[in-house]
Amino acid sequence: MTKQSYMNELDRLLRNVSEEQRKEWLYDYYLHFEQAAQNGRSEEEAALELGDPRQIAGELLLGYRVEQAESSKNYRGLSRAVFATVSLGLFNLIFIIGPYVALAAVLLSLWAVAAAIAVAGLATIVDSFWVETFTKPQALSLALICWALSILLAIGLKFLTSKFYAMTLKYLKFNTRVVRGNSK
Amino acid sequence: MNIQFKKGVLEICVLVLTTRGDRYGYELAVMISEKFELAVGSVYPLLNRLTQEGYFSTYLKESTEGPPRKYYHLTPEGWGHMRMLIAEWNSFTKAVNEIVEDGLRP
Repeated sequence: MTKQSYMNELDRLLRNVSEEQRKEWLYDYYLHFEQAAQNGRSEEEAALELGDPRQIAGELLLGYRVEQAESSKNYRGLSRAVFATVSLGLFNLIFIIGPYVALAAVLLSLWAVAAAIAVAGLATIVDSFWVETFTKPQALSLALICWALSILLAIGLKFLTSKFYAMTLKYLKFNTRVVRGNSK
Repeated sequence: MNIQFKKGVLEICVLVLTTRGDRYGYELAVMISEKFELAVGSVYPLLNRLTQEGYFSTYLKESTEGPPRKYYHLTPEGWGHMRMLIAEWNSFTKAVNEIVEDGLRP
């Protein structure tokens, strides 16, 4: 692999990183090639000793993604952090993706339940106008009960979801340390 | 050598290698790869992380040949972190050696 193709590959693998950060990282590898050339090493030799660009990109992205998820609280970032950690090995595939997907699915379905109960409340009111299974006062009180339930459920879920977020991050950090072989 | 093992040890090595003066990335990468086999490219992500954690500060310095080099300077926090790692490493290797010696005794 030549210097140019190595740098291009690394650049491509890091395309989702902010430009500033990417340039800073790439500079290290650019310098490495320059200095290797000064010491009389060929571009191919330098590329070979640097190692697989995918491995390097994985190591660079690992810390970055977890940190990004931490600083910007959004769930796309969290999923990215999860996948960056997973890409480190099969062990992680089982121990991270499994619990993450399962818990996320449970949370999502509970949110769907909360929404469904709210819709049911609305439906009783619509019903009292068109089909008249319930009288209007009955429908109104049923709807209020439904909405109260749905709001309570949503409050509880909001708490659970943010706990889930925090726990996932904590677990990722722990896992990252284990994978890096860092006992701290 | 086991790769996880190597990564943990690598951190101690780069920290120790900067105690006698600031070093630039290529220098560190080469010094380490002379001692044990590893993908040299892994040294840079490690240097980045240690810098981010405040154990290194970095600066660019012109060189007579080629582009400016990025130097790594060990901060006081870096010294503390290194001492802690070395203490852990020593007690760890001591324990392993004791077990190995006991196990191999005739």
